[in-house]
This record gives sequence, C-alpha cells and structure tokens, in this order.
Amino acid sequence: MVQAQGLTTAAAPRSTGGRGAGNRATAPRWPLVVAFVAPAFLLYTGFIVYPLASALQYSFFEWRGTARGAFTGFDNFTKLVTTYPLNHELWRAFLHNGVFFIGTMLIQNTAGLAFAIWLQKRRGKRFLQTAFTMPYLVSPLVVGYLWSLILSPTFGPLNAALRAVGLDSLALPWLGDPQTALPVVILVNAWQWVGFPMLLFAAALAGIPEEYGEAATVDGASGWQRFRHITLPLLAPAISIVSVLTFIGNFNVFGLVFAMGTSEGGPAGSTDVLELLFYRTAFESHGDLNAIGRSSALAVVMFVFIFGVSLAANRALRRREARLT
Amino acid sequence: MSVRTSVRLIAVSALVALAAACAPSTNSEGGGDTASGDKTKLTVWSWRTEDVAAYRKIFSIYEKDHPGTTVEFKPFKNTEYNTILATGLTEAGGPDVAQLRSYGGLQPLIEAGNLVPLDGTAGLSDFEPSALEGAKGRTDGKVYGVPFATQTLQVFYNKKIFADNGITVPMTWSQLTAAADKLQEAGITPFATTGKETWMLPILHDTFAAPRYGGADFAKAVQSGQKNFTDADYVASIDVVKSLEKYFPKDVAGVAYTDAQVLFTTDKAAMYPGGSFELGFFQAQAPDLDLGVFSAPPPDGSPVDHALVPGYTDGSYGINTKSKHQKAAKELVTWMATQQFGQLVADELKQISTVPGVAPKDPLLAEMASNYAQNPTPYLLLVDFRYGDPSGTDLLGAGVQSMLLGKSDPQQVAASLQKGVSQWFKPKA
Repeated sequence: MVQAQGLTTAAAPRSTGGRGAGNRATAPRWPLVVAFVAPAFLLYTGFIVYPLASALQYSFFEWRGTARGAFTGFDNFTKLVTTYPLNHELWRAFLHNGVFFIGTMLIQNTAGLAFAIWLQKRRGKRFLQTAFTMPYLVSPLVVGYLWSLILSPTFGPLNAALRAVGLDSLALPWLGDPQTALPVVILVNAWQWVGFPMLLFAAALAGIPEEYGEAATVDGASGWQRFRHITLPLLAPAISIVSVLTFIGNFNVFGLVFAMGTSEGGPAGSTDVLELLFYRTAFESHGDLNAIGRSSALAVVMFVFIFGVSLAANRALRRREARLT
Repeated sequence: MSVRTSVRLIAVSALVALAAACAPSTNSEGGGDTASGDKTKLTVWSWRTEDVAAYRKIFSIYEKDHPGTTVEFKPFKNTEYNTILATGLTEAGGPDVAQLRSYGGLQPLIEAGNLVPLDGTAGLSDFEPSALEGAKGRTDGKVYGVPFATQTLQVFYNKKIFADNGITVPMTWSQLTAAADKLQEAGITPFATTGKETWMLPILHDTFAAPRYGGADFAKAVQSGQKNFTDADYVASIDVVKSLEKYFPKDVAGVAYTDAQVLFTTDKAAMYPGGSFELGFFQAQAPDLDLGVFSAPPPDGSPVDHALVPGYTDGSYGINTKSKHQKAAKELVTWMATQQFGQLVADELKQISTVPGVAPKDPLLAEMASNYAQNPTPYLLLVDFRYGDPSGTDLLGAGVQSMLLGKSDPQQVAASLQKGVSQWFKPKA
C-alpha cells in the first residue's frame, strides 16, 4: 500500500547511506525503464487522466444527448449555481459532506486511534485487528442495504428489539427522520471503516521506540502525559495521512449513502452528498438534453475542490509535523 | 534470447495488448451487423431483465413466420440502461432495435440523431394519439418508436381483508375515508405506500388526487398557460395526500418501496396505491392473495365528478440509425404494431398493450385496461413535465416527502414545483 509505505518512510529515521548506489557510472537502461513504467503509465493515462481531461472539455460545451453542440464557455458552471433546485442542493451537499468529514474524524478516527492503542500489547491482537477490519471487505452498497434492513421501521430487528425491552421511545424511524438520518449514516460508515485508521495508527505506534516512553516514565510522567507529549506528536504523520484520506474518502462517499438514503439522499435531502448530486445530474435527469455538460461541470467543480483542499491540507499538515517533531 | 531482447519483447507485447484494448473493435461480435449464414440477426436491447423468457418466446414466434431473421433479446440492468443505450447507439456493436423510454427520457436520443423516424409505419396510425405522444420527438413531432405498453395508476386492494371487515369498494370519498378508519381501528394499515423513495410519491398523488385538480382539463390549461401549479385546485390536490397521511404506515418517510409491497402482500395492509406494473410482482410473490383494483373516487371539492385513471406510455421500440439491417429492423417494429404482438405483450408480459383492440386474458389487467379506456387522464407530471431539468416528478416527489415529514405545506410544495419547471417550461400561448 502506498500510504503505508509513506508512513514507514516518514516515521523511520532517514538514512543517508542509500545514495551511494546511484553513483555507479552506468547509463540508464531505457528499454527496461520503459518496460516497467509503460503499463502503469498507459493505464493511468487511459483511465484517470483521459477521463478527467475529457470531463473538463465536455463541461465547456452544450450537449444534445450524446451529440456535442456549441461551445458555451462557463455557462454550465453558472447554471449549477443559478438553476433551482440545483443551486440549493449544491450547497446542501457541500455542507453534508463537510458534516460527514467532521463526524468521521471525531467518531471513526478517534475510535480507530483508541483501538490501536488498546490493542497495542494485547493478547489476541491479530484476531481482534482482523475482526475490526472485516466490514471493510464488504461493498459499501451491501453494508448500506444491510443496515437499511436492520433499521427499517416496519420490519427492522433493531426497533423490534428496542420495543421488546420496553424502550419504545427509542424505536425511532432512524433513516426516515431528517434529524437522525445523516448521523446514522456517519455511524454506519464509521462502523465499516474503523479498521482502516486503526491499522495505520497501529503501524505508526509500532514505529515509536519504546525507550521514549520508558524515559518519560522514569521522569515521572503520567500515562496521559506520555500519550499527550510523546505518542501523539510522533503520530502526527499518521494523523495527517488519515485526515487527508478521510477527507478524500468522505467527499467521494457514494455507495453507502445511495443504499441508505436512495439516490435523492433522503429523507428530504438530509443525506444528500456531492456524489449523489452528480449521479442524479448525470444519470437521472429524465429529460435533460444537456445532462453530459451539466454533470461534467459538476464533476470538474468537485475535482478542483477535493484536489485543491487535499493539496493545501497536505502542505499545512507537513509544516505542522515539522514543528511538532 | 538475450535479456535485452526479451525486455523489448515484453515492452512491445504490452503495448500491442494495450493498443488492442483501446482500439475500437472492428469485428463487432454480438452487434447488429453479423449475419449467420444467410440469416439476418437482429439484436434487441431492453431494460427488462425479468422478461427474458417471455421475450424469447415472443421472438421465437416471430422467427417462425420470418424464416430469414433471428432475433437476439439482450436486456441490461434497468437503472443503467439509459447510459448503456446512449453510448451503444453512438458506436458499432449497438442494437438494431432498442426498447426506448418514453416522453422526456426519449429526447436525448432523438436530438443526438440516434433513431430512425417511423412515421407512416403500417398500423401506427391506428394507435391512440395519447399513446403515440410518448414516442414523439418534442421538437420535430415525428414518431420514433412503436409503443408497447401503457401503465395505469389505481388502488389495489385485498378482497379478503375487505370482506372480513365488511367493507365494499368505495364509490365516494367519504366511503373511502370511512373504510380507512374502520381498517385502522381493526389494526390494519389502510394504505401501504413508501415515503422514502420519492419516485413513487407523484404516483401516489395522481392515484388519489388527479380528479381534485381536474385531470386532463387542468393539463390543457397548464399547457396553454391559463393555469399553473400554484392554482388553488392543484394545491388542494397536494393537500389530499396530506389528509391521507394518517392512513399510511407509521413513519412513512422511512418506509422503503419494497417494505410497502411486502406490507401489502403479507396482509398487513389492505390497500396499495400503485401502477399496473406492480401486478406481476404481486401475483408472483403472493399467489394466494385475492387481489382487486379500483380507482379512487374524486375527493371532495373536485372539479371532476367521477373517478379518473391516470396513465402513460411506458416505452416503445425504435430503430438504431446505425443498424446495418434497416429493412429487417423495420419489419420487426412493424410487427410490434400488430395485434399478434399486442396480445403476446398482454398475455406473456402481463402488460396493457398499446395496440388498439387487444384485450388481456388476465381479468385484473383487463379491468385496469378497461377502467383506463373509460376514464383516462394523463399522469401529468411524467407525460408533460419531464422535458427539462428539474423534472416535474422529481420536484413533486421531493416536495411531498418534505410535506410528509412536516417540513413544508401544500402551498410551498406547489410553489417549488412551479418555480422549478418554469425554468424550462414555456406554455404554448
């Protein structure tokens, strides 16, 4: 995993001796380089760069079905923020993605860190780690439909169980109430993915030399002080990576919300997010001739936002790490 | 072989493999332009994966009468069909004949020049003009498909529950609400319906409230610009749905479409407002369920004094412009306008055929068809308000859901619908 590699190189002390290898006076073996790079390069260009570039191109044209019409400049982009109800839905979707990100950071990643620390020197660590990471082997769509069934107000076992023990007042229409729907989706998402930050934090924790903690104990530091002033600063690189990946993941969340709140992000748009909005604009706008133009514009806006924020956040977090360590 | 040669070999073969994967395929297998022996092979695309067996049977009958042609029925997943078809029609390997969505959903394909106009096709002129409306181009008024089915909206009911509770089919609105009250006292949900899946909510609205806004007359008034959706009668029609909310399952906004169907098929609910397209599912899921249908009586204050049956053309079959077998394809869609095909649609697919003069063998389907023939009204938001974005059905669906959640009132729902569609809908003055 690329992330895990980044993590270990960031956490490991930098060695300077490795450079010597490059000094050998041999010419670069181009055929070999090309042979190794070409497959990945071509696949990446064909499936990532090309679609991105064509989406950007599409967004500047008016479409009539699959036939490209006139060049319209930024018209598709201005329509995104002027067409009712798309204009409301766009901001609402941004807001929900933001809430999703903050909620996930607070619940999923905090729990992931807690599990990692709790499991650090525990017997059965392997088994428990596997158990915690199991849900993320299941497709988000499956997880979503499964939880929709569990939470169903008519046939769901959760509310049936609550009523059976006399907690009728807690048997809420979890996914049918705009107040509870988004928090419930965030919790289910956290349930599915908590193993991911846990594994990253566990790897980072393993990279912290035990001597630091021991020395602090000798100096009379309490458990909390050791965590706050030694473990946490040394985990900074891992926290940065988890944060940025959470941001990217949460702003691209789709399957789970689709399964739990339908493509409208229901009820009453309370779980509507950017990807659902894109899905609707692209594939569910029944008579919209310009669906390709409009949805491409939305895709470009989303990409620029997610890419831009991730880049800025990465830079800011790196600087902060440098200060902490 | 030296190391260098083998590296070159790998590089070259990798490139060739990739180039082959990227290049448009020249031998379009499974596409429209294959001819096995001297037979012409037509490929038909559809979104009805559940109808494969029935369509095979239907097309084998066609093949018997047309020895020179074989027909391959190729269905795709319903929700992905539009995208697959839109791209399939632009390149080689697409279908010869395609099942097409109706009304607004058809326009992108027509505008892109993917379909062959079918005006003048034998038998087509005998179709009801309202049925052909669903297969026409909005801008040029030409017909691009042979409609295969009409869907109608009405209330299904459980005959046994009605009999057990001493209820007869309601003929007036007060009889309907009295029946619902009685059922509720008996602990039975009167109406099983979803509030979660918003596409069903405009259907719910039209099933009960089409007479309240005036049905086809109102549709005409909106087209001509005399009225719009903020009209008092239309607002009152949305209020009809609100007045029925107490008879829906508890926390209806959390009830999924399938939940509602199961409530009805497991005798937990007595009535199910829905489309004729549900009949097949109910009969398959609950063969013992004693089903009946009725059209909701006009709510109090309705400008119309009798029940109305909203309906729409479900879809049609049209010809790909790029098909290499135009003549054979034309022959097939011409056959689809005949009584023979219509009867097969009615009996094998359990759908109300649009071919004039076809009577389904299934008594319930026949009843729905004859009810519609007597008191038809367009399912207004689907028939006339899906030609732009946002669509009328999306706006009303979202609006009714928020009303059921207590977040907006009928005036606001109507205002939002009007505001949304007025961005692209211009009345014909």
